[in-house]
Amino acid sequence: MDDLPEEVQGIIEELDEAAEDEDEDAIEELTQKLLDTGADVETITLKKLALLVMDGEEEMTQGWTRVAIQIGLDPFKTLIEGLATGMSLIGKKYENGEAFVPQLLIASNAMYGGMDLLAPLMKRDENSGSKPATVVIGTVEGDVHDIGKSLVKTLLSANGFNCVDLGNDVPASRFIEAAKESKATAISMSTLMTTTMAEMPRVLKMLSDEGIRDKVMVMVGGAPITTEYASQIGADVSPHDAASAANWLKAAVFDFPPESVRWG
Amino acid sequence: MVAEMTSKERVLAMLDKKPVDRVPVITGSTMVKEYIEKSGSVWPDYHSNAEMMVNTVSLMHTDAGLDNIVMPFGMFIESIALGLEVKMGRIDIQPSVRSFFNKPEEVKYDNFLEDKFVKTTIDAIKLSKEKFPDAAITAFLVAPVTLAGDLMGAENLSVLSIKCLQKEKQMQKMHEWIDVALEINKIYAEACVEAGADVLYYSDASASPNLVMPEFYYEVGVPAEKELGDFVHNLGCPWELHICGDTTPIIEGMASTGANGLSVEQAVKMSEVTKIAGEVPVAGNITPLLMVEGTEEQITGAVRDALDGGAKASMLGCGTPPLSTSDRLKTWVKAVADWSAEKL
Repeated sequence: MDDLPEEVQGIIEELDEAAEDEDEDAIEELTQKLLDTGADVETITLKKLALLVMDGEEEMTQGWTRVAIQIGLDPFKTLIEGLATGMSLIGKKYENGEAFVPQLLIASNAMYGGMDLLAPLMKRDENSGSKPATVVIGTVEGDVHDIGKSLVKTLLSANGFNCVDLGNDVPASRFIEAAKESKATAISMSTLMTTTMAEMPRVLKMLSDEGIRDKVMVMVGGAPITTEYASQIGADVSPHDAASAANWLKAAVFDFPPESVRWG
Repeated sequence: MVAEMTSKERVLAMLDKKPVDRVPVITGSTMVKEYIEKSGSVWPDYHSNAEMMVNTVSLMHTDAGLDNIVMPFGMFIESIALGLEVKMGRIDIQPSVRSFFNKPEEVKYDNFLEDKFVKTTIDAIKLSKEKFPDAAITAFLVAPVTLAGDLMGAENLSVLSIKCLQKEKQMQKMHEWIDVALEINKIYAEACVEAGADVLYYSDASASPNLVMPEFYYEVGVPAEKELGDFVHNLGCPWELHICGDTTPIIEGMASTGANGLSVEQAVKMSEVTKIAGEVPVAGNITPLLMVEGTEEQITGAVRDALDGGAKASMLGCGTPPLSTSDRLKTWVKAVADWSAEKL
């Protein structure tokens, strides 16, 4: 942004302030002013959104999402190249040990803040694109820890997956029902406690008993879960963290039979 | 060569940085299914019946051979006594807190000590002190950052922990929560020490770098733990501090709280943290799951790794898993005794 003309930079700063103050009238007026300068507002907006999500600036992210809407930016492009890019940036920093969970959480809140504004505009296009793969996600029975699971959900959503979030303390049978109902591509189970790890093989056994184990990929994760444990209980993977989970599934889904073949 | 000690003498000597006859074996939570069944206790009654509680937790000392007897079973007592919703779990799943307050002013604690679960802890301390005078009677309590997190919700704690570093107003908000938590901590600590607890074992699980920023821990967590720890010391009681996850970035802060002992989990390298902690004894850090499915070789290996790394007490990295088996617990205690005979 530093190479932009001074006048443009000045308006961007004013827009930041208006966004932080949640002053919608000022945002509208300043957006028009920015357009009038002839600057590439689309590129500026997408870059701003990515940086604001990365920094967890919820109000400012919402403000700049309003800018995106006002200038007629495609909502999917705003989501993928703006909001989700910011989430990926902070996800990478987390993977490299340069960021901590609270930073992921506030980034996630910022992303969802922007997504809330985009959602009504995206619904209209629901039938036009290809259907995203569905992931049934939840924390296993007996464990109420939500944060890790929610971060995985956020990063999966940011990467275009449709997440069916069952919440926490989810009985094994609920995972199976939800996978069948949504014709899921994957099930993602999380637990923070050693005391509830045994719920994971229970879900895997139920999938086998129901004859649908080969219809879904199973990801398991959480502090006590290791790759060895995942393989021992017959899960497909235990990603190291939320960002790796999204990356792994994004790649794995290409080699997995499509929904129509698996579920008929 | 140190003369043979009782379990209590051994634990207190370790916390006082004095020589021991063998390395103490201690634990945090002790809701072990096998012992619940063996003692004839019934779920969920053993959470609110002092006699059942003592009959169960004392088996960790009398049967498995650990040096401390720890009560209560889980980290929900403070929350349930304050009126938060708690799901009682199962015989093999610990109770968990399910709701939170919106504002610190909503937290009412005038009648905290009248709550039946708090009373059970207090009565269990008295009873176990009477029945097992040679064991280190230990109260398992929730430390201030974690209690503040239970009061406001863990996710809110995590988010506020970063926002408070950025904005003074948010820091004030954080302090309001911490102050309420500390008030409750002190009421409970005083009652436990009066009842005869030899040691207070505080878990500050939510102060972990896995949940909050290390900067936050240093700025807010350390002063809060120190304030509570000083209060406990003034009551004449030693205290231990446990924090979950990879605590390497905050171990220096943990050591500066004045805690008599630190407990760390398997995510840290023992030799690294004992070096940073310096004089402060560190306990740990055996993978808890080994008590459920570990082989003798694995258990012995984990015990020796931790002790070779400088641990002054042998402890599981986190609570004792409910499905732990008594034979594995005994293997653990034996491995510590063997190491002590060889190396002390």
